[in-house]
Amino acid sequence: MALDASAMTASPGTAAKPPRTRPPGVWVQGWRRFRHNTTGMLGLSLVCLVVAVAVIGPFVVHYDPNDQSAMIKFGAKSAPSLQHLLGTDRMGYDVLSRIVYGAPTALAVGLGTMLVASVIGITVGGISGYAGGMVDELLMRFTEFFLVIPVFIIILAVVRLFGIVVVGTPLESIPYLNLMTIVFLLGLFGWPPIARLVRAELLRLKQMEFVEAARCIGTLRRDILLRHILPNALPSIVVVVALGIGGAILAEAMVSFLGFGDPKAISWGQLLYFNYEALKVAPWASVAPGAAIFITALGFNLLADGLADAFNPRLKQ
Amino acid sequence: MLSTPASSNSPLIGAAAPALLLRVSGLAVHFFTGDGVVRAVDGVDYQVRQKETLGLVGESGSGKTVSSLALLRLVPRPARVVSGRIAFEGEDLLAKSERQMQAVRGKRIAMIFQNPAYSLNPIYSIGDQLGQILRWHDKIGRKESLARVAELLRLVGITDPVSRLTQFPHELSGGMKQRVCIARALLCNPALVLADEPTTNLDVTIQAQILDLLDELKGRLGTSMLLVTHDMGVVARMANRVTVMYAGRICETGEVRTIFRDPQHPYTRALLESMPRIDQSYSGPVKPRLAAIAGRPPNLIAPPSGCRFHTRCPEAVPDCQRLLPEMAEISPGHAVSCLRRGSPGRETVGAVA
Repeated sequence: MALDASAMTASPGTAAKPPRTRPPGVWVQGWRRFRHNTTGMLGLSLVCLVVAVAVIGPFVVHYDPNDQSAMIKFGAKSAPSLQHLLGTDRMGYDVLSRIVYGAPTALAVGLGTMLVASVIGITVGGISGYAGGMVDELLMRFTEFFLVIPVFIIILAVVRLFGIVVVGTPLESIPYLNLMTIVFLLGLFGWPPIARLVRAELLRLKQMEFVEAARCIGTLRRDILLRHILPNALPSIVVVVALGIGGAILAEAMVSFLGFGDPKAISWGQLLYFNYEALKVAPWASVAPGAAIFITALGFNLLADGLADAFNPRLKQ
Repeated sequence: MLSTPASSNSPLIGAAAPALLLRVSGLAVHFFTGDGVVRAVDGVDYQVRQKETLGLVGESGSGKTVSSLALLRLVPRPARVVSGRIAFEGEDLLAKSERQMQAVRGKRIAMIFQNPAYSLNPIYSIGDQLGQILRWHDKIGRKESLARVAELLRLVGITDPVSRLTQFPHELSGGMKQRVCIARALLCNPALVLADEPTTNLDVTIQAQILDLLDELKGRLGTSMLLVTHDMGVVARMANRVTVMYAGRICETGEVRTIFRDPQHPYTRALLESMPRIDQSYSGPVKPRLAAIAGRPPNLIAPPSGCRFHTRCPEAVPDCQRLLPEMAEISPGHAVSCLRRGSPGRETVGAVA
């Protein structure tokens, strides 16, 4: 605090209380640009719609998703009516409530998968980009190895084998174990794009003068990575993650459609699987879950698109 | 090598010689690249005294930036400090542990960068990123640190410093950002500020303001400065003494006055002649041409034998190809490394593979 006296007296007390209001940072700025982005806002609305359905829907719909009582009065594959707005499916379930209860599953799959993928991807990409040299080389080859694995075959095989192995063990009682296995596997094979992006961002940011400046003021290596480099890479990471959520939901639908889904979980892919054979008789039972998958995946893709534009500094006006 | 006792005793103009703050001797930084060893800095000596500004001048690639980064022990990979001593405040910086160096960086030696636009982190507000440094170095609280930051922002001539604390770098102009960077460098009251071309990326009017500011602050705070630049004009204005570098070696060192009035090394002369002078007319019937230095800077993987400047030197004699000149004092405080000025030479043919 040993500056010269004039500077000390020049700021009598005013410096002591910094104002609370913060002007726009990257996030607020990004949001402002995002708001004017039509595709992005459309994506956000679709995602919000799905989230709203997942949160509020279960309290609104009349039928339990496992309620087959429609069989008694309406019968299976009955057309949409006032009682069953989207009709009933092959097994006499109310299609609307199956769709509504499928929304949380879809979101959980999307978010869970990307959580797993992000943790692995950011760690691998972070180490790779920051350490450089031989470590980088090895980790990137490892990443490429994961990129060329035929993901679906492995997922199908593991899900089936794991399903058999757990029978009779305490693991069997874990709810949604099958679904969690799928999520975990999707994440396990979904991280390479994130790792590559994080690495690229780190290589770029590492060269920035502010990182050098941070080093020159004695900042620890760990703090440089956590406080200066990673936060600057976050906007790009958010974009790939948003894109990945849509992809993960589609992938889970595919696994379920092939009949490898969790029998206890209500998933849109499974609805398709159960009903596609009756496509001609009861098209509503197949079209509705298809549309739900479409809307959700489209929503996340458009959202990612909008985010990419909003965080791209070159588009700044 | 420079005969140091004489030079450190030589008087500054109108004052007794202040104590030595920094003495770099025999510093060598080599880049170990796939193509070979680049001798970017190859046996360099210079001193910075208390409250003095030393101008480190040279063209790009002469090793001036690397030799200043070496002071913080932050030479970029694949470079390494291969030899030398850096005595700063009586301690050898090259002998310190990485942990001890962290306490030097930013606290005792601070740095101002070339490009203010990129040297501030875009995601932190000014108050946050400057306060962070203080909290880390001085272990003080958030409130206290922000007060100190505001005080420094005022010192570097930023109006309404308190409201600037919450602003982000992109909301400031280039000159303003450089002021913030200067404030950042001065936060912990460092003994030495390294300014690496602090005005190169600013427009001319702002350059003048920033130079004035640096000059004023240096006088007020009593900080020493190592000014790395290729701009002789900036040196003439800011520095007390000048060290001229060429291809990783020192050519000449001395008081600014001496160097500008009586340059001895052919490279220094050529450098000064390549600069327009205010006391010379460039219009009229006879238009004098600015002299350029012929040739290109040498490849430092295989530097020329003998004196590194001999390939471009107008005064070169056969001996220059053979002997590497060493620094020798030709008058108090003025040292030159040139065989034609009586510097001792060291046989190099065969010594450098």
